[in-house]
Parts: sequence; C-alpha cells; structure tokens
Amino acid sequence: MSEKFTVDKIVIASIILLLLGLPLLGFSQYVMRIVILMGIYTILALGLNILVGYTGLVSLGHAGFFAIGAYGTAYFMIQHSVGFIVALTIGTLLSGFMGFVLGLPTIRLSGTYLSIVTLGFAMIVQVVIMNWDSVTNGTLGMSQIPKPNILGYDLNLANHGIYYLMLFLLGLVTLGCYTIIHSKIGRTLRAIKSDELATTMMGIHIDRYKILAFVLSASITGLAGGFYATLSSYIDHNSFGFDLSILILCMVILGGMGTIRGMYLGAALLIIFPEIARPLMSWRFVVYGFVLIIMMHFRPQGVLGWRSRRKYPIPGEVKKSYRMVEVEE
Amino acid sequence: MKKLRSVLSLILVASMVLALLSSCTAGADNDEDSPIKIAVAFPMTGDQAEYGQSFLLAAQIKVDEWNAKGGVLGRAIELVSYDDKNSSEEAATIAQKIVSTPDIVGVLGHFSSGVSMVAAPIYEENQVIEISNTASHPDYSSIGDYIFRNNAVISNEFEVIESLLTEDLKLSKVGIVAIKTDWGTTAGAIAADMIRNNDALTLVGHEEVVEGSDDYSLVIAKLKEAGAEAVISVGMYALIAPLARQYKAVDPDIQILGLSNSYAQQLIELGGEATEGIIFPVSFYSDPQNPEIKRFVDAYVESFGSEPSALAAQAYDSIGILLEAIKANGNLDRPSLRDTLNNITYPGITGETKFDAIGDATKNYTKLIVKDGNFVPYEN
Amino acid sequence: MMLQQLLNGMALGMAYALIAVGYTLVFGILRLVNFSHGAVYAFGAHMVVFFIGMNFGLLPAVVFGILLSGLLGVLIDKIALNPLRKKKSPNISALITTIGVSYIIQNLLVLGFGSGRKSFPKLIETRSIMIGDAQITNIQLLMLVVSVVLFLSLTVLVKYTKIGLAMRAVEQHETNAALMGIPTSFIISFTFFLGGLTAAIASVLIGSHYEIVYPTMGMMIGLKAFSAAVLGGIGVFYGSIVGGLLIGLTEALAATWFGAEYRDSVAFIVLILVLILRPMGLFGKKGLNKV
Repeated sequence: MSEKFTVDKIVIASIILLLLGLPLLGFSQYVMRIVILMGIYTILALGLNILVGYTGLVSLGHAGFFAIGAYGTAYFMIQHSVGFIVALTIGTLLSGFMGFVLGLPTIRLSGTYLSIVTLGFAMIVQVVIMNWDSVTNGTLGMSQIPKPNILGYDLNLANHGIYYLMLFLLGLVTLGCYTIIHSKIGRTLRAIKSDELATTMMGIHIDRYKILAFVLSASITGLAGGFYATLSSYIDHNSFGFDLSILILCMVILGGMGTIRGMYLGAALLIIFPEIARPLMSWRFVVYGFVLIIMMHFRPQGVLGWRSRRKYPIPGEVKKSYRMVEVEE
Repeated sequence: MKKLRSVLSLILVASMVLALLSSCTAGADNDEDSPIKIAVAFPMTGDQAEYGQSFLLAAQIKVDEWNAKGGVLGRAIELVSYDDKNSSEEAATIAQKIVSTPDIVGVLGHFSSGVSMVAAPIYEENQVIEISNTASHPDYSSIGDYIFRNNAVISNEFEVIESLLTEDLKLSKVGIVAIKTDWGTTAGAIAADMIRNNDALTLVGHEEVVEGSDDYSLVIAKLKEAGAEAVISVGMYALIAPLARQYKAVDPDIQILGLSNSYAQQLIELGGEATEGIIFPVSFYSDPQNPEIKRFVDAYVESFGSEPSALAAQAYDSIGILLEAIKANGNLDRPSLRDTLNNITYPGITGETKFDAIGDATKNYTKLIVKDGNFVPYEN
Repeated sequence: MMLQQLLNGMALGMAYALIAVGYTLVFGILRLVNFSHGAVYAFGAHMVVFFIGMNFGLLPAVVFGILLSGLLGVLIDKIALNPLRKKKSPNISALITTIGVSYIIQNLLVLGFGSGRKSFPKLIETRSIMIGDAQITNIQLLMLVVSVVLFLSLTVLVKYTKIGLAMRAVEQHETNAALMGIPTSFIISFTFFLGGLTAAIASVLIGSHYEIVYPTMGMMIGLKAFSAAVLGGIGVFYGSIVGGLLIGLTEALAATWFGAEYRDSVAFIVLILVLILRPMGLFGKKGLNKV
C-alpha cells in the first residue's frame, strides 16, 4: 500500500515536471497545439465526469455548454472589449447558469429521457447560434477573437503563454474536481449514483445535489469553451455539434468513469488517435469506430475504470464523528 | 495486477505520443533536388468529401502537366493532401502542421469560408500563400497579404442574374431559397439587396434552409403562396436539384435560377427532368470547342468518371497561377513570390484571372441553361 | 396555404414515424438506444441503389436491400452487442458501441459510394392528389399507409404471437426468460433483424419520395425520429406515430410562422416541454431508468 502510494507520487510528480518543461523541448507549433487541445478536452472530460462518472446522469449535450462558454467569452471580449479574465469568468458563469436551468428537469426526468433533453438542449443552442445574428454573428461565426492578455502580456502559441495558461486552468480544474469528489458533495453524488432511493432515505435532497452537479459540470465545460475561443480566434456553429458531445462522452467512458486520471488518458487517446491515423485518410473513421467497439468490448469500464471501484477512503473527521473502527484497506 | 494495468496504459499513451512526434519530425529537407511541395487542404472525409477529392484530382492534373514539362525551376512538383473534415478546429491543426513543414510553398484550400478564415491567419503569420478556390466570405481575402481567392465575388454573379431576370426573362416576382451556412447567408443577403434595389423586381420571399434537410416542401408552399415567378437557389447542386424537383411538382411553371457553383454534372443526374430550364451564370463550363478545357475535362473524366464542376476548374487554375508565379519569380522567396502572384495575369480555363490588391480575382460570366439533359449556353 | 402546410407537416411526420418505430422496437425489448439505426437506414437505401445498378430489377432489389439491412441488424447484435450483454457490461458501453458501429457503417458507405448525393429510383410514378387547394403525392400517402401497417403488424407480432410473447418475456427479465426455455439470444437477434427491416423500409420509402440517397442521410432525420419516439413514449409503437406526427406538424407551423431556419430547434423545444410535463413521454410507461 505505502509502496504503491510512493510509486503513484513519483509518477504524478514526473508527469507534472514533464508538462511544465514541455515547451523547452522545442516542439513545433503543431505539436504544441495538439497538446493544448488535449488539455482542453481533458477539462471537458473532467466536467462531464462529474455528471456521468459520479452522479450517474448521462448528458448527450455538453457541446451546448461548451458553445455557451465560447460564445459568451468571445462576445464580451469583442463587443464590450473587456479583458480575457473577466470575459472568461462571464462565459463560465453563463454556462453554469444554463447548467442550472437544464438541471431543473432532472427533478422529474431520469435515464434516457434526461439524456434526450440534454441532446435537445445542445441542438437548440446550435440553432440559436445560427440565428441570433446580433450576438453570435449567425452562421458567419465570430472571427478575430483576441488572444488572452494577462497583465499586459500577450499569450500565444509562439511564446508558449497559451500553453501555460492551459496548464494553469487544467491544474485548477483538476484540483477543484479532486476537492469536490473528496468532500461531502462528492460523497453525496456517489450515493445518488449507486442508489437514489437509499440516498433520499438518508434525508438528502437529491434534487439539489443533481442540479448542483449540473451547474458544476456546465461551468467547467464553459470554462473550457471560453479558453477554446481565444485559442482558435474564430468560432462558428459547426464546432459545437452532436459529434462533439459524443466525443467528450467517449473520452470519459474510455478513460474510466469516476476517475480523475482516466480523463487525462481518455482525452489523450482520442485526440492523438486521429492525428497519427492521418495517413489512413478515409479509413480513419472506420478504424475509429472499431477502436470504440473493441475498447468497449475489452474494457467496458474504461482503461482506468478499476480505480473508480477502489474502496472509498473515508476521511478522518467522518471516522471520528461516527466512531468507526479503522477499516483495513 | 493493478500496477500492471497502470503501467500498460502509460505505455499505451507514451507509444501514441511517440508516434505523434515521429510523424511530424520527418521531412524538413529543402535542398535543390527535393520536389517543391504544395499543400491541398480540403474535406477528404465526411459529408463534403466529394468536393475535396475532386479538387485534389483537378490540382493533380495541373501538377502532372507541369511535371511532364520538367517541373518548375528545374524541380519536380508534389502535392501533399490534408483532410480538414470541413471543421475549423481540424483546419487550424492542419494549418499548424503545414506551416511547420518548411518546404511547403503554398496551400490550395480550404473549402468553406469559415474554415478558411480560421486557417488563414496561421498561413499569413508564417508567410505561406493560401489560395482558396471556394471561399466567398467578403472578409476572407482581406485577412492578409498572403491570402488569395480564385473564386467569384458573389455580387458579380448577381448582376448577371439581375439582367437575366429583367431583360431576358422579364419576370418580376422573385423568391430566394438560401442555404443556412456562412456562404449562403451572405450570398442570400446580397441577392435580396439586389432585388430590393431594382424597381422592376419584387422580393416575395427570402427563405433559409438548413443543410442536410432534404425536405423543402414547407418553404416551397410559402413561396408559391406569395406568387413567386422565379426562384434563386443559393446553394450547391445538392440544394438546387431537390428544390427543383419538389418545386416543379407543385408549380411546373416556376423559373429556377442558380449560381456558378451549381454547375456540376450531378445536378442533372440528381434532379432529372425537373432541372430542365434552370439557368445560371458560370465562369467555366466544359466547352468542347476550347482545346485547353477539353484536355482538362478529358483527363478529369478519365479518373473521376464525371465532368468537373466550376469549382474544380478553379482548383485547377489556382495551382496553375501559383506555379506560373513561381516560374516568373525564379525563386521561392516568400515575399517576392507573393508580389509576383499579385502582378501576374493568368489565362486559365476559367477565364483571364488577375488578383487585385486585396487578393480577389474578377471573373467573366457566360450563362448556361439545362436543355434536354445537357448544359448549353443560354441565348434569348 | 395552411392546409397545404399541415399536409406537408404530416408527410414529414410520417417519415419520422417510420424511422422512430425501429428505435422504439429495440428500446422496448432491450432498453438500449440504438444509435446505429440511422446508419442502417442509410445502408438500406444504398443497398437498393447498388442492386438496381447490378440489374436486379426494382422489386428484387428493394426486397434484397431490406433483407440485407435486417441481416446487418443481426450482425451488429452478434458481433458488437451480444458479447457486451454476456459480460453484463454497463448499458452505456452498449450505447457507445452503437455509436462506433454507426461511424463504421457511414464511413464504409462513403468509401464504397462516395459522399455525394445520388439519385434514388422512383418506386411508383408520382401522382398528385388534390385536397381542396392543397396537394399531396401518392408516395406520401404510401408512407402513411406503410407506417400504419408497420405499426399494426408489429403490435400484433408483439402482443399476439408466440415470438412476441418471448420478446416481452426477454424485456421483463432476460435471465428468467432463459430459465423458462426461451432462446433469449435468438429473440434479441430477431428484434435487431426487425429493427434493420424497419430502417430499410423507411429509407426506401423516404428515399423514393425525395429521390436522394447519401451516406449521412440518417443523421439529422435519425435524431429527430429518435426524439419522436421519446416524445410518444419510447417503447410504445403508436406513441412513435403520434410523436412523429407531432414533430412534423410543429416543424411545418414553425417554418410557416417563423421561417424554415428555426424548424430544427422548435421540434426539440416541443420535445423538452412535453417531457417536463409528462416525463415518460405522451404514452410511456413508468419505471424506465436505464440509459
């Protein structure tokens, strides 16, 4: 146990070091862009994981939240020329608010019916983007979104600023998720996933927690969207379709629902795969389909899925308050 | 066991990362014997793959012609094709990949305006010439000095349609059906303005339809109710063919007008009898009288099985202009190559082409009509 | 014009209903959202075009195309989904698998036939039937008749035949059904066979109405049909028809009053409102929790 723990620590520390030093290795902008995309998708997967992995609510519409974050940030940066940080915050809050609105039906809906509502939500967002010309510029999309500028420094691909910004956001979200999962909220969400009825019997307002899960998940997704908008400097409705929602869901499931490091793995696999498969040309998506099927066949719980089934380490204060006997792990 | 799994998954990721890195470090030699490379970046998979594949073929035919004559500057020419799936995210990634490959001189691409406009700033920043044979967004070519467009600027086409309506056909009540994309919205609005500003014409309806919905009965009923005599279809053949079919079933007398990018053999194959009488302006059509055009069309039909569209012909010409400019410039120095490209006048199969200051090309139009299942020049 | 638009909306709704029946069938027995349904739909239409190209004649080509799609349904189940059921993997991995299957089918169709739109042969000579000022074509009427027949025969099959009894038994409890001597894996494959059949029947009818086929033809219409199935109460056959009609009519009204660019969203807005008021859809049964 303690030996594995140190192995874990060494691995994590070396990965962090590697990530921090990556720009020094002199990769081309193309590679750096792929790495940044991986970071964005890891954030997206972490966000969706809160719903799918921990609370057991399947969303087929996270592209909608991603779009709201992206358009919100872009709109305030361009139309009201506010700074990047303020715009990103507004975008995140907007997306979180929409998460609240979409979370309301969860009081009455569950299972497939909830999933289809999320799917419909994303479709509606896309149509609104296409038609609300005064804000979203319609099908022409929003172009020339400024690069983030923090304390007078322009962050871009060439000076690696945008890479470190991604790392910072990724670290923030990872830490946030870790804290949430290991708090009372996280425990409640897991309880809801395993048995809603029993959780209600414990005197927990499961509706509130489900809505909270939606808000958290949507905010994280919106954050990723805002960052994506400044990275690509142009957004239009095509980038936020059904395929994107599915891609994020595949990352979560492939990496292993209910784990944090699984999200890194899932995003890395599904972003790198199409890149190295470029020479396959038209066969690429046939192969991609096979990869999904084979993965589901051999590891339906995801590559790192076993981690979500580890015994939950009960925090000290809980043990104390319930005077529990030490559980052997 | 658990440890084994985590080690295995780490190895999996590491091997994929390595493969990614190795795939992009190859190449990068720029000596005198290696071929001059031109990137062709279009959707090669997905919904719009047919366009990308046809442009690649058209470009390849032009390159083969030059290579048969000994290439350019004594070096062979090679096309490198990329698949952007018509997605702006993919296109940005590909653009980064292209500019990271130092021996690529220029890019033919991308397909839709939106996608081209994501990629364009990356090319501009790295002094790589981009010529799009399809983008038509008004702001596209002003993104930078290295960004060129060899496609119709849409308002010129509508002038032809305007004269067609008022002088030749003498129809006044006009409806517009535009596809809801960046291109369709812009072009549809320009068409609507053209009709509003002409006293002889009345705009009876301006409907936008979403790509991929093949049912147009709802908009047709509205336009018919409004008494439309002519309908301008702002879209590719995939819009105009089913629109014509469904409209003619309801109102056989309707006059349907298209734009130059509805010129494709598939229009007649898909629309059948309903396409009879459709008129549209083109900068290119496969005129058997013209030997240059015939040579291209024959080579194209041989590999593709059907006749080239106007857009494919523009792809063919775009490569031609770029190679001509390289030849005239005598070296591959990017800024001077750009200036040469800007000053060249190129006699192509889509008419004489010259880029203006912002990088747009002006085109001359002839009118085509579908008659007995063939495209023939329209004469009143 | 209003009457014409209502007729147009009804015809559109019939198209959704035809596809929705297949979603509802598989979901009713297996509680699985089969995302490969739209791809099988496209596959059916392409097979018919292919067989006609091979000079099979119209009717044999249609029959072969439909049967082959049914077999594809079985193949999907046997190769991709059956192993998952055996391993009792979570339902969501089956969902992802069907998405993977639809990627494979769609892109193989692109490789085999090209991504462009191709013309689909007419099944029967189109004729217009006038109702007042409005008109409807005989193919649209045929779509209406076929979807009602399809719904009636599926209802009879599930409710009054032995195999239908077995299907319902599998729906109730797969293990118990197996213990009663029901060949469960055959029954499930049979369900997928029927699902494939209905998809192909839908694509032949819809294809010959619009006279267009292309590999991604099942995407948008598939999502809307799926919504129609959910709207009516997924798992209930007549619910699909009502759901399909409702979405078709709403789209027609939205296109008339607001403009055609809004029609896709209005369908989903109606869906969400109905679901909030009646969480199990219009005619759905309670107690469905799986994804």
